[in-house]
Amino acid sequence: MQFLTRKNGIYTIATLLTYALLQGLNSAGLLSNYVLFIVMVGLTNAILTVSLNVITGFTGQFSLGHAGFMAIGAYVSAMFSKLIFDIGPATPFAMRGPTFLASLLAGALAAALAAYLIGIPTLRLKGDYLAIATLGFNQVVIVLFNNLDFVGGPRGFTAIPKLTNFTWVTLLTVGSVLVMRNFVWSIYGSQCVAIREDEVAAESLGVNTARYKNLAFTLASFFAGLAGGLLAHLLQLAHPSQFTFLKSIDILLMLVVGGMASIPGSIIAAIALTILPEVLRFSQDLRLVIYPVILIIFVLYNPLPRIKHITDQVWRRARTALADGNGR
Amino acid sequence: MGDSAIPLLEIQELNKSFGGLQAVKGASLALREGNLVGLIGPNGAGKTTVFNLISGIYRPTEGSIQFCGEEITGLKSHQVAARGIARTFQNIRLFKELTVLENVRIAHHPYAGYSLLDSVVRTRKFRWGEKRLAEEARELLATFGLQDRAGEVARNLPYGEQRKLEIARALAMQPRLLLLDEPAAGMNPQEIESLMQLIELVKERFHLTILLIEHQMRVVMGICQSILVMDFGEIIARGSPHEIQRDPRVIEAYLGRQAGQHAAAN
Repeated sequence: MQFLTRKNGIYTIATLLTYALLQGLNSAGLLSNYVLFIVMVGLTNAILTVSLNVITGFTGQFSLGHAGFMAIGAYVSAMFSKLIFDIGPATPFAMRGPTFLASLLAGALAAALAAYLIGIPTLRLKGDYLAIATLGFNQVVIVLFNNLDFVGGPRGFTAIPKLTNFTWVTLLTVGSVLVMRNFVWSIYGSQCVAIREDEVAAESLGVNTARYKNLAFTLASFFAGLAGGLLAHLLQLAHPSQFTFLKSIDILLMLVVGGMASIPGSIIAAIALTILPEVLRFSQDLRLVIYPVILIIFVLYNPLPRIKHITDQVWRRARTALADGNGR
Repeated sequence: MGDSAIPLLEIQELNKSFGGLQAVKGASLALREGNLVGLIGPNGAGKTTVFNLISGIYRPTEGSIQFCGEEITGLKSHQVAARGIARTFQNIRLFKELTVLENVRIAHHPYAGYSLLDSVVRTRKFRWGEKRLAEEARELLATFGLQDRAGEVARNLPYGEQRKLEIARALAMQPRLLLLDEPAAGMNPQEIESLMQLIELVKERFHLTILLIEHQMRVVMGICQSILVMDFGEIIARGSPHEIQRDPRVIEAYLGRQAGQHAAAN
């Protein structure tokens, strides 16, 4: 088994060290809960952006409904943790972790199932048409949760147990990203990339394009659902207004800034664009101007692909220096 | 039935209409294992439509296509490919942003030999599978003299090498039948010469049957064992290169009526 290649191992260790540092600072009272909260939101956004990257960056399918799958994950996982398992202060400590994981898994699976079923008719569409269909799906999900009374309807699903903490978010983000990365850099992911490059040619080489599009869509939505579940148990609230297509656009924005088909780019952009509005708070109302201006500059002179290029070169050199090319 | 062997590819009374336009009219043909057959005809005769019908991009309006004695009419493109029919395209369709190696590796996907789960947890099986995919892709590139280009992005290859790469990619799926759509288009005389050698080489080495659309008569007359001629959606003549060159219907299709009559009189 080699779940981690050497390169990813180093990235993972770096992430875990950062985690330990932040957690330690927080325990020592040097880092406020507010900062830690922003970092957690940033990490859930990283899962969302990497998963949208699997659909749009690698498979080339333009989806504008990612927040819809996130909503399904958030609501379904909260239904499990609050209504079915009823996790509360009375729950024994040893049971909290497993039931929370089970709830998150249920939410993620529900999102994946929805994606699979929606994918069968809509993934036949291409480009703008697919974007409109997925946007429509996002809207349907919002209307649905607005009208389901047992999850709060337009008041939102409130009083969700607060189970998400920094440890869970870090572990699940690392795990999700690694799974998606390993999928993308395999022959299965390559077939998705072939679809992006030329669908007719991919078909002529025996790639079942309908199947692989749906596979990418389902897998990515699973992780979008997971991120939704994490967020709901962090905010202790799931409200339809959190998951409108504006959220889908936000994720797309992070993807574009980070660079299509770049996983490190997606992660960096997601965290940076989550922190940025908070950093700009000092400018009060002006931040509504500054933030978009920064984005425009970013899209015009995007430095992230170049950063990736440089890190790639460093790795290549390091690898030839080690004279060993085990795994990619 | 005198001949007991089943043809590798047999097409019967194939018709295809696009609205009022009948692109293919009652085309029938049979290819035997190991044949190298040329399909020629003036522009718009329906040659590429026949290819698209065989490879499942279009569904025929009427008629049947059998491969190895099995009905493949109406199958999807990827299903036809999985049965062992590979093709190239008139207007090269490489995965342009990917490397040369990656283009060939993807086509080799049915032989990866590991599951989705293997790839996610990176088992030993995954690493062996990936290693084999890369090795076989490199080997195939070497056959085509493209081994030094393996790491280059396909878009940056010169035109002639892009054509070669497309053939290499088609062969990576280990087909039994190869459909080549104008492989020599846009090539200079030296490139055409090496292409002809290459086609004959791969035909022998990979035990292929080849159906070839081509406008370069030098290629068709030089390497094809027999030739089919299409005009206005119909197959108007078939025979050896020698016979075809003298067939008045063929000359008429290419050069007009008078030329055809003139040829018939001689």
